[in-house]
Amino acid sequence: MPPSPISCHAAAQRLRLWLVALFLIAASALPAGAAAQILMKQGGTQSASVRTEHVQAELVAQAPDGVGPGRPLWLGLSITHAPGWHTYWKNAGDSGLPTQLEWKLPPGMDAGEIAWPVPRRIRVGTLANYGYEGQVLLPVPVAVSDAFAPGPLAREVTVRLQASWLVCRQECIPEEGEFTLQIPIQGTTALHAAQFEAAARAQPSPLAPGAGSGAQVEDGALALRLAGLPAALRGQALEVFAETADMIETAADPSQQWQGDTWVARLPLSPQRSAGPDPVPLVLAHGGQGWRVELPVQGGWPQAAAMAQVSPALEAALRANAAGANAAAPTPAPMGLWLAALGGALLGGLILNLMPCVFPVLAIKVVGFARHAQDRRAHRIGGLAYTAGVVLSFLLLGAAMLALRAAGDAVGWGFQLQSPAVVALLAALFTVIGLNLAGVFEFGAMLPSRLAGLQARHPVADAFLTGVLAVAVASPCTAPFMGASLGLTATLPGAQALSIFAALGLGLALPYLLASWLPGFARALPRPGAWMQTLRRLMAFPMFATVVWLVWVLGQQSGIDGAAALLALLVALAMAVWALTLRGRGRAVLAPLSIAVCAWLAWAWGPKVVEPLPAAGAAPVADAATPWRPWQAGLPDQLLAQGQPVFVDYTAAWCVTCQYNKKTTLSDAGVLRGFAAKNVALLRADWTRRDPAITAALAQLGRSGVPVYVLHAPGRAPVVFSEILGSDALRAAIDSL
Amino acid sequence: MQTLRRTLIALPLLLAALGAHAAAAVGQIAPDFTLQSTEGKPVRLSELRGKYVVLEWTNPGCPFVRKHYDSGNMPATQKAAREQGLAWLSVNSTAKASGDYLEPARLAAWLAERKAQPTAILMDEEGTVGHAYGARTTPHMYVIDPRGTLVYAGGIDSIPSARVADIERATNYVKAALADIAAQRPIAAAATQPYGCSIKYK
Repeated sequence: MPPSPISCHAAAQRLRLWLVALFLIAASALPAGAAAQILMKQGGTQSASVRTEHVQAELVAQAPDGVGPGRPLWLGLSITHAPGWHTYWKNAGDSGLPTQLEWKLPPGMDAGEIAWPVPRRIRVGTLANYGYEGQVLLPVPVAVSDAFAPGPLAREVTVRLQASWLVCRQECIPEEGEFTLQIPIQGTTALHAAQFEAAARAQPSPLAPGAGSGAQVEDGALALRLAGLPAALRGQALEVFAETADMIETAADPSQQWQGDTWVARLPLSPQRSAGPDPVPLVLAHGGQGWRVELPVQGGWPQAAAMAQVSPALEAALRANAAGANAAAPTPAPMGLWLAALGGALLGGLILNLMPCVFPVLAIKVVGFARHAQDRRAHRIGGLAYTAGVVLSFLLLGAAMLALRAAGDAVGWGFQLQSPAVVALLAALFTVIGLNLAGVFEFGAMLPSRLAGLQARHPVADAFLTGVLAVAVASPCTAPFMGASLGLTATLPGAQALSIFAALGLGLALPYLLASWLPGFARALPRPGAWMQTLRRLMAFPMFATVVWLVWVLGQQSGIDGAAALLALLVALAMAVWALTLRGRGRAVLAPLSIAVCAWLAWAWGPKVVEPLPAAGAAPVADAATPWRPWQAGLPDQLLAQGQPVFVDYTAAWCVTCQYNKKTTLSDAGVLRGFAAKNVALLRADWTRRDPAITAALAQLGRSGVPVYVLHAPGRAPVVFSEILGSDALRAAIDSL
Repeated sequence: MQTLRRTLIALPLLLAALGAHAAAAVGQIAPDFTLQSTEGKPVRLSELRGKYVVLEWTNPGCPFVRKHYDSGNMPATQKAAREQGLAWLSVNSTAKASGDYLEPARLAAWLAERKAQPTAILMDEEGTVGHAYGARTTPHMYVIDPRGTLVYAGGIDSIPSARVADIERATNYVKAALADIAAQRPIAAAATQPYGCSIKYK
């Protein structure tokens, strides 16, 4: 029988139904597969991707062989920055924070450190940072050990990341993200292979430093020498990135050059650096490629600048002392204090007239008095000119001291006589003046008549110069009232310091000024006569006595040879001066001869005069004869720590007050017995040769001149004595120990 | 003669260049300055000589500054310092053109809201004082001793982060310095790493 047409149709229909059913079954499988894909990116509510206003961050993985013990696995945070925004490198630079990753991994998986790609230097005004813009991947190697046991049914492993980063443009925004990623254990995870490869290329490769490589800290910079860089880099400028934060000046461009195949550079260090790693890790880069090297630091890192430490107790004691005795607070003095200091300076200047080192010049002043006793107007003008000379000289000295102080030179008052050359010149000057006073020569005879007439017609200029001379000699004699004022000026601002100096000058000039202006005073002066010549000749002797004192000072500085050389020079000078007063053939022969002798002596023996004695040789070792030991920085503190009281005598050879005290109070039997009884260590700080350590110690005591006497006792405030040392005061202080 | 002349010309330029880079360093004299406070009064650093002075660079626009102020950490440190007799100067070197700039009155109000207790709040819009001290971040802390020497430069504490929770775990370097000062010993951590946002200089 043939198939009926109806059954054919039904068969086709049934086939169609079956095909549709098959198709639907097949189609239903597809969403499941797609769902499996999406699961890898988004584990339920948790995501491998975080999007903020300024970055798009994503946790990515690279597992070409799946996940298992011994198989390579890389995780990473991929950051895409909005234009103009950046995040930071492991050393963020002058500001900022490096991106931080915190992993939560299943047991058996250990995340290593971030393999930072080579950064860029991003400038922010005068500051600079190291960081990334655009897109960057921060990869992290993960070691999978045998402890990794996800179970037989597990198909994926879940890794979690808590990341925090600082993203900045001008302003900075700290951001955080939580990421979750599921990685299939079997199969390949290589969706971001290209990114991982790029990051691997951008990672600095380790470089072993070649022979002769090293780093050294010098002059506030890190000097680098590096051999062993690839030959292709020779002659190229390299970028340098320091891995350690707060070490170098991020914004500064290092100076670099190539010396053959060695790369040499200087990285300026930050003045407030807190890091000093040894070896110092650096990354060098060129054209996007980087090399990481660790250089040993030859000689190590220096300690931070040692501060001049005065123990707070001593400082408080000094302040209390100074407030009680003389006003010597080291601040811009308030009005009352300043006026008191001015008064003290004025009084000090007056007393200076009586000091033995000024008295010889008084001789010149008195001679001037006698000359002008009849001419009151000339007298007054002379008085004013003298005052002007004195005050201006003091101001000049003060300005010079301020300038030197500004230049950082460690000087104090009296610095002129610390230089042997100045002492020698002053000795020569006083010899010439002494010879003039003694009548060996007259200024009129020596100088051309025009100049001589000039002198006579301008007693004003003469008086002015006399004033200058008086100051030149008075400077090292610091009298009691002046001590604190001078200490004050060492720390005062310029204007106030100069006013103190001016007051000093006024005090010095005051007697002469009064005499020239007050007729009564002037009338008391004797009338001119033969006595004037006698007086003049007499005044030569104090002048020569000053020369003796200057030669003695020079002897302290340059030794006996220097002093003898100076004396020889002075003798030759005297002869030359006398020879110039001769006339006719005598002068023609003797003058050039004596000048030649003078010049030859100056050339041959001059250096001996100015050559200072070697300090070590000059310092006497404490022997039984004298209980005094030489002072050294830190020695008083050392002895105090051992429980011994210390008495420090700051002195100098050219300081007459010091010598006076030394010969009287400090040689007093009672005082010395007291020192011995209380086992007081006696230290002598000799400032004759401008020792900077002693200058610093004096500055800490608020003084800029000598003498200064300090008695330290353990557990007690130190006592600073007045400059004319009274034996009663000293004995009382010792007894109270 | 040529070399002498060249040296003479080069020397002042070299010195000027050195001067341009020379910022304050720990152990050296701290640079003196005069700045206007938010109350309009000039404040001079050398007038405070004789007491310890803390300098704090601040900027309310920086999340790190807000971390320390909103948590009360900075105001508490200021209180401790003031009680110990120190002076505290908060300095703002943000340029006027910056988005973070606050007028003096608003800056003072912001700080007062958070119970800050500085001796004075100083405006350094030109940035000269910030540059003189080498200040880079907000916050950046300095301590000057009564003789005018810089004895501390660095951060407020030891954990660089923007998280408030890290404040308790961290060592507050300024409080440590206060303890050293009270015990009359030199400051142990004299230079530390400062962290924060960069100062918005002119």
